[in-house]
Parts: sequence; C-alpha cells; structure tokens
Amino acid sequence: MIVLETQKLTKQYQMGTVIVTALDGIDFSVQRGEFIAIMGPSGSGKSTLLHLLGGLDKPTSGEVILAGQPLSQLGDDEITRFRRRKVGLIFQFYNLLPTLTTAENVALPLLIDGQPLGRHRQHLANLLTLVNLSDRADHRPDQLSGGQQQRVAIARAFVNDPEIVLADEPTGNLDSRSGAAILELLRRACRDLGATIVMVTHDPRAASYADRVVFLQDGQIVHRLENNGEGVSVNKIVEVMATLEL
Amino acid sequence: MLTSLPFLAPFFLALRNMRTRLGRTLLTVVGIVLGVAVVLAVQVTNQSTLDSIRRVFDRAAGQANLLIVPVNQGSDVLEEALLAQVERAEGVEVATPSVKVQTLLASEAESWQIAFTINGLASGNVLDLYGVDPVLDPEVRVYQLSMGRTPDPEAYEVLLSRKFAQERSLQIGNDLVVLTPDSQARLEIVGLLAEEGVGLLNDGVVAFAPLSVIQDLYGRGGELDEIALRIDPAISGDTRQIELLKESLAGRIGRRGQVIYPAARGQLVTQMLATYQQGLAFFSMIAIFVGAFLIYNTFSMTVVERTREIGMLRAIGMNRWHVLGMVLAEAGMLSVVGSILGLGTGLLLARSLTTLMGAVVTSSESVLSVPWQGLVQSVVVGIGVTLSAALLPAVQAARISPLEALRARGRSVQAVRPTIWVSGLALLFVGWAALYRLEWRPEINFQAGSASVLVILFGATLTVSLAVIGLERLTRPLAGALYGDEGQLGSANIRRSVGRTTLTVASLMVALTMIIGVGSLAYSFEQDMVTWVDTALGGDLYVRSPMTMRASFARQLENIPGVAVVTPVRYLTVRLTPGMSPAGEGEGDSLFFAAIDPWTFRQVGAIEFAAGSGDPEQNWARLARGDALFVSTVVADRYGLSQGDRISLLTRRGEHAFTVAGVMIDFTGQGYIVYSTYADLQRWFGEGGVDRFTVKIAPGYAVSSVAQEIETRYAARRHISVQTSEVFKTNILNLLGSSFRLFDVLNLIGVIIGALGVINTLVMNVVERQREIGGLRSLGMTRRQTTQMVLAESLAMGLIGGVYGLGFGYVVAKIMIYAMNELNGYDLQFIFTPGPYLLGVLIALGISQLAALYPARRAAAVNIIEAIKHE
Repeated sequence: MIVLETQKLTKQYQMGTVIVTALDGIDFSVQRGEFIAIMGPSGSGKSTLLHLLGGLDKPTSGEVILAGQPLSQLGDDEITRFRRRKVGLIFQFYNLLPTLTTAENVALPLLIDGQPLGRHRQHLANLLTLVNLSDRADHRPDQLSGGQQQRVAIARAFVNDPEIVLADEPTGNLDSRSGAAILELLRRACRDLGATIVMVTHDPRAASYADRVVFLQDGQIVHRLENNGEGVSVNKIVEVMATLEL
Repeated sequence: MLTSLPFLAPFFLALRNMRTRLGRTLLTVVGIVLGVAVVLAVQVTNQSTLDSIRRVFDRAAGQANLLIVPVNQGSDVLEEALLAQVERAEGVEVATPSVKVQTLLASEAESWQIAFTINGLASGNVLDLYGVDPVLDPEVRVYQLSMGRTPDPEAYEVLLSRKFAQERSLQIGNDLVVLTPDSQARLEIVGLLAEEGVGLLNDGVVAFAPLSVIQDLYGRGGELDEIALRIDPAISGDTRQIELLKESLAGRIGRRGQVIYPAARGQLVTQMLATYQQGLAFFSMIAIFVGAFLIYNTFSMTVVERTREIGMLRAIGMNRWHVLGMVLAEAGMLSVVGSILGLGTGLLLARSLTTLMGAVVTSSESVLSVPWQGLVQSVVVGIGVTLSAALLPAVQAARISPLEALRARGRSVQAVRPTIWVSGLALLFVGWAALYRLEWRPEINFQAGSASVLVILFGATLTVSLAVIGLERLTRPLAGALYGDEGQLGSANIRRSVGRTTLTVASLMVALTMIIGVGSLAYSFEQDMVTWVDTALGGDLYVRSPMTMRASFARQLENIPGVAVVTPVRYLTVRLTPGMSPAGEGEGDSLFFAAIDPWTFRQVGAIEFAAGSGDPEQNWARLARGDALFVSTVVADRYGLSQGDRISLLTRRGEHAFTVAGVMIDFTGQGYIVYSTYADLQRWFGEGGVDRFTVKIAPGYAVSSVAQEIETRYAARRHISVQTSEVFKTNILNLLGSSFRLFDVLNLIGVIIGALGVINTLVMNVVERQREIGGLRSLGMTRRQTTQMVLAESLAMGLIGGVYGLGFGYVVAKIMIYAMNELNGYDLQFIFTPGPYLLGVLIALGISQLAALYPARRAAAVNIIEAIKHE
C-alpha cells in the first residue's frame, strides 16, 4: 500500500538572476513499512526532496501525496497540523529542546497537539524502552551522549504513530558505533512498529540498512537499488556513488 | 512536570526556557523592574510630597470642615468681630479663632538662621507661636498631650511640642522666653504635645498660648488670622450642604474674609511644585522607553538564539500562533514577576527620592503616600511595555520557517531595511513639527511635548542603523590604536548584526541624551539664577528678621560707614480674582506680591525685562505712577498677559485690576511673582514694613566688615540677620543642585539599563560566534587578544552611542529649555557648557568597557574543541 507518492515534483530556486533547479520532475513512491534511503552527491537535491516530502517547503510544481492527502491543497496551518500528526522528523543535530528532559522531549509533539498525556503514559514508556533510555527519562540533553540524544529524537519522531518518518542524515553527527545502533533502531522500528522511513544520507553503510536505495543526481532519480533479501550491499552502493560523483 | 492542558503548552515551554536561560531571564526582569520602579517611584514621590505639604496644612486645620481666612493670607487679617457673626450661623457647630506669629526664643535671638526654602514650610529656628482658644481649639484640632495640661484662658501659659522642649532642655514649669515687638515675654510651660496632630506643625517648632495673650503681646488686639469651623454633623457628610453653607457664610462675611476648604491651603506651594513634578513624570517615561529597548533587545536575542529550536518546533507541528503565544507567554510571565518586584523596588526608590525631594521642599515628612492608581498604572505599564516590546520578536519568531531546524547554522540578524531609517527620519520630522510648529491646547501641552520628545528619540533610534556603518569606519582606527589588529576586528563586528547594535547604541544614546539634556538645563538654570541674583536682587548684603522690620530702619542702616544704598522689599501672598485662573484650575491662584521702592531699588539692582517689553525707563515710569505691576514671564505666560494688559488681584479694598507695566525674568517662588511699589502696597493692602533690606556697599569698604558692623549694632537689638549676597547665591545654587539631584538618580537608572543592554548584546554576540571565536583561537588568537576583540567591539558601540548621545543631547537640551519656557513661561537661555558632554562621553566609554568585561571573559574562556565542534 502506497503511503507516500510524488508526481513530477519540481523545485527551483532563484539565485540572483539565475534559476537553479534542485528537483526536476521526480516521480517516486513509498510503500507502507518500507525503509528507504536517498543518496546522492552534494547538491543532488536529496535534502530538498526530504523537505518537500515533509511539507516543510512547497514545490515549484508537481505534487506530494502523503497518506492520500495532496499537500498542495493544504494551507500553512493545515499542513502544520498534518505534519504534527502524520510525519515524524529526525534531524542530523537531534534538535532536542535543551530545557526539557528526555521524557518531555519525547512527549513534545503530543504536548503541541494538545493531547492529554495521561492517555499516552504507557506509549511513552514503551518508546523509551524501545530506544533503551528508560533509565535516562529525567536527564536533560546536555547530560546525554550524541547517540543517546539521537535516540531521544527517534522516540520523539514515533510518538504520534506517524504515517512516515523522515530522517535527515541521522547518523551524520555520530561515531560509527552509535551510528550503527541508531540504524539498527530504525530498522527495528520499521519491523516492530510497521513504520515507514525515508532517510537521506551520504553514508553507504547507513544506506545499506534500507530496503531500497534511491540515487539522485542533478535533481533527478538516476538509479535504484533494491534489497535482495540480505540487505542492500555496501559495495554496490559505493559503486553507484562512485559513478555519480565522477 | 509536563502538563496535559493544551493551552498551557506555550506557558510550560516558556517557563522551562526562562529557567534554563536564567541569566537572560534575570536581565529582562531587571529591565522591567527598573522601568516599573521608576514609574511608581516618581508617582509615589510626587504624591508623598504633595501629601506632606497638605498634611502640614491639614494639621493646622484639624477636623475643621471650613476655614475663614483673610482674602490675602500673609498680608491681611480678619476682624475679631467676625467670629461672633460666624458662630451664630446655622450649621456651624464650633468656630474657633486663632492668630499666628513667628518669633524666636530670646536665647536664640542672636543666632537665628535663615533657611532658604521653596515653600517656606520650615524656616530655621523660627518658632510658630499660635494664639488659640484653649477650650474650643481641641474641639477642632488634634491636641495630643504627652504631659501636663492645656493653658488656662487669659493666663500667660503655653503648650510646647515635646520634641522642641527636649531639644531646648525645657520642662513643664519652666518659662518660655520669646521675643515680642517691644522686648521679651515669659510664658509658663504647662503642657507638652506628643508628635501628633498640631505637635507636628512647623517640624515641631511650635507653641500654643491663649489667644488674648498673643494678641496682647504682639499688638494683634481685635485681629485674627483664621477661624476654623466644625460643621453640624447632620450636614458634614453632605458635600452639597457644605457647599451651600460655604456660600452662605461667604455672603455673610463679604470682603472681610474668604471661606475656603482646608484642602485649598498650600495651593501656592502645589502650583510651584507642578513644573518639577512634570519633569519627574517625563523622566519616568524616558526610563520606561529605555527599559523597553532592553526588553525588546533581550527578546529579539532570545529569538535569534532559539531560531533552530523554534524551527524544530515548527517542523514537528507547532503552528505560528503557538510560537507567538510561547514568546508572549514568556514576556507575560516575566512582566508579571518584573512588575511585582518593580513595585517593591519602586517603593524603596521612592523612599530615597522623597528624601531628596524633602531637601527641596524642606519637609522632614517621611510617610510615603502610595496611590493605588499608581500601583495599578505601574503594573499596567510594566506588563504593557513588556508585551509590546516582545511583540515584534514574537512575530519574528512566528515567521521562522521549519526549515531553519534543518540548517546547519542559526539565523543571523538580518541587515536593516532602508524603511527603518527612513521612518526614523520621518519621526524626527514629526517630533520637530509637533514641538515647534503645532499649537496644542494648554491642558495637553505637557503630554504633547513629552510625546514629541519621545518621538524624536525613537526617530533618532531608528536612524542609528544608517549611521552604524559610516561611523564604524571612524571607530575602527581608534579601536585599532587601543587594542591593535584584534581591536579593528572587534570594531568591524558591530556591522554584522546592525539591528542588535542599533538597539544597544540607542539605549546608550538615550541615557546620554538625558544626562546631557539635564546637565545643560541645570547649567542654563544656574547661569540665569546667578544673573538674576546679581541683577534683580543686586546689592552686597541682605538684612532680614523673623519679624517684619520698620521702613525707618533703612535710615539707621544708611548711617553705618560703608553703606552706600539701602532698599527695602516686602513680600505678601496675594490672590488673583477667580476669573483670572486658567479654566478648571481652582478658585483663584496665589502669587507673591513684592513691594519695592523703585528709586533705591534701581541703585542697588536691576530688573531684567523679557524680550519685547519695550523701553525699561518707560516701564519703570509706569510702575512708579501706581496701579501697575511688573509680572514675571511665568505669570505672563500662565494668564496670557502682555505689557499694557490688566491683572486683577483681590486686595483689601476688593478686586482691583493693575496694569502690566512690564514682563520681567524673576525666579522668586518659581516665578509666581509680581512687583509693585510701596505706594500701591499701602494703598491696596494697607501694609508697610520690610521683609528684607538689600544693602549696597560703597567702594573701598569690605563687605564682611560692613556686615560685621551691622550685626554688632543691631543683631541683638533688632533680631536681624545679615547675609552676604555670595552666601545667598551659594544657598540658592545648592537648592538648585538638590532639585536636580532627583533627575540625576533617574539618569543613573537610565545608565544602568543602558549598561545592561551592552552586556546583553555582547554576551549574545559571543554566544552566537562561539564557533568563530573557537576558530580564531585555534588559529592562534590568544585569550588576551580575544578579550581585546570583544572590548573593542563594545568600545565601537560606546563611541557611536556617545556621538549620537552628544548630538541628540544637544538637541534635547535645547528642546528642554524651549519646553520649560513654553510650558512654564520661563525665559531661560540655552548656554553651552562642555561639562555634561564630557561626562556623557566618559560614561559612554566607561559603560562600554565595564559592561564588556564579562562577555570578553566569556569569549576568552571559549573551549576551542567544543566551539569548533559546535554546529
């Protein structure tokens, strides 16, 4: 079942007198429960694609249909509410509120949505267990390591049971061991929670955790690698990337 | 703990933010506290001062509902026969007569001191001796005996305040020996008054004896100064009935006296203080204005600092209204806390200001009057200003795109749009036009003038953005000279966040502008006062006495070797006819009426006529012809008088219109003064006598030796005091200094708020540039160089603030003098003096360097690894 779909998605920027095309007519879809990695060289448009998929930015033309809802039909407030309930976001730099504890950061989307937290107490506890931070529930971000902070961000992304989780270089700021733990966690979330994840990364090892890897170059999808049952091979990814970066 | 109430979410997040960023929170609170404190303190000080003056008169009035006083208090008297007439009036329960004389203890006659006061509420060691009915008076006034009894009617007995008795080591049974016009009199002390009610009059330098005794001793037979009336309780609670009774009594006594409410006393003092209090109110507005900058600055910095955080909140589903609410919730909570703390601080500040004010109005009252409207207004101002100042940053926060969360760097302050400085120039023009080109109704003149000055300052603030770039080119070489290459680097940094620099420079500018404005105003006042003392008062010596002197004493003074000319002056308080007062301002103003002898006066001093007053010789000739007055510029302005117009006074012979023979510059009684001749004094007020002789010394004689000779001959015999014009001038300038000290306190608060602004900006700059500073440190910049870079950045802001402050200080000083002249009818001239400008520059540079110490230290302490790792 398709959760996310783009139709001829195009994004152009005006840079002085020059118009730069960041995305050029992308057609792309994601099935429920899929874990997709988007790769590409710098400037290929992968971050722009992520922004458009999450409704953080508006396309110049084309459409993003998320959970059956064309995003172009939504106003600013509606899209904010839609994002709040249907999209989970994971950032490279975690973006936790330094003023809140782990548990509070995880619960933040519920708080913003005005949901009674009492009803979600068990759900919050389960999420903290999932990310293995039950014993750090009352710690503030500055008392946690980078890996732990990213785990908090992951729990926060899943707290509203979103239709899709968008992750922007989730391991970009972590050492390899912490990065591997995060990716394992994302894969587990996909498997155990039935979550759908789209991850932007430039790390072939990170991409190898995905079910499918989509390669972008100059704003277009230029290659796809599918999981053959044993994961996507790192070597294959490196090969493709090498051809793109030539 | 997280709340599950959705509408509390912004409050919860705001609360957490405030707790985490405690330094910033405290800084904002301090800004609010100081602003609210100043607003409240000024109101409380003004109210307390007025109340203390009113209390003095209330004590004299006691529980009286109405008073009958002479038409011109201080010069006229009431006939004693009036008492019987009033007593019989229906509705009057008690009518109690009194006379008041001023005298000295015989033991202190040679050392009596002249206390120079604005309102004359206390005058050195002069004793206020009341003649009252010992039986009836306690029915109306509060006599709280601490020991002894009240005097017997007709007996030579006296009641003293306990404080006065203790200070003079007097006890019950002792005789109080006082001076009388003929010699001395002995009154037996039979009771001591507690420090309550009438015991507090004249700061306790007060005594009460039977009416007939005082009339007898002081030649006041058949005369009264006041009849206090207590009304039948059946009508005393009904203001309409009281008004009817007042009118009926007024009709009954005709021109032989006037019926007033006790609250009407002290009107002249209140009139004189009005200008001063307006000035304080204006300064409290300026403090709020500067405070608003600090609050705005703090909130915009918070928003800049939290751009990514807010971006993340937007990304995960917070809408713009939530963000707006979150910032405003923070502002709201801080404003409530700041306002409450501001009330406490305001009361403490009011205590100090009231003490300073006490020095000006010579009142030792220490009771603070806290008007509830003042409390409410201060809180409303505190909350309103905070929310308004935070609104723009809140709107900016709400505009933050969710994409900010995904960007590697936080958003830096944007360049200032040309619309900002263009608006600034437009506001400057509007403020100027409102001040100099528009005619405002008199009742809103002060508010309109103050608002115009604020508009000018705000306009100036907006133009700072335009000047920062240009002026920075000038500050850079100086910063380089002081702090080397890193100094130049630091100076250039102020161009990076023009908006932030603008606000910091602006708050410094406003503080300096006020310092320079007040300093220049004080200097101009001082110079005009000195000129006035030198010309109008003239002479070398002033001979005064606590009791009115005879005019013939002038002959004796003239016979002293070295005395060239002697000229007398007599001061009365007179009332204008009610029709003369500006609309809605009471029953008729009071003025000082100075009678002079034009012939001798002109040999000793001169009157400075206002511009357009024609030929001085003709003016003097018109005065000498009689039925004419010289009026001060203040009086001319208040009543719209020009030369040749008529001014109507209540004289002993009824209303009389005097011709304005000239408009003069005179500061006596804050300018509420008219000059006349002795002939008119005698004719219209039936008065003679002299309050002060001004003596001019002949060439070749030393002022001090002539003064010594006068004192030797007459000090003991005539109870006179001789003061040189130099001492008098010093006294008057000291009083002026005291008057301006209050403004200095308010200026200091402005400076503190300005300094907090500098700290705030620099800390923010350092926090924002951690990565850059770490980079510079990694490239080899030492901690010392880092410190110097931040100090140079601050120096550049201080210099620009200084340049702006000097420029606008000059402009505002001129406006202040213009406003003083326009609002109060003064004729002050702007006189440039470098002192306040120099002080302003020193303060700007001093603040910039002192306030930068902490941020500089923080920058120097940046951990290189952490900083360059910092995203």
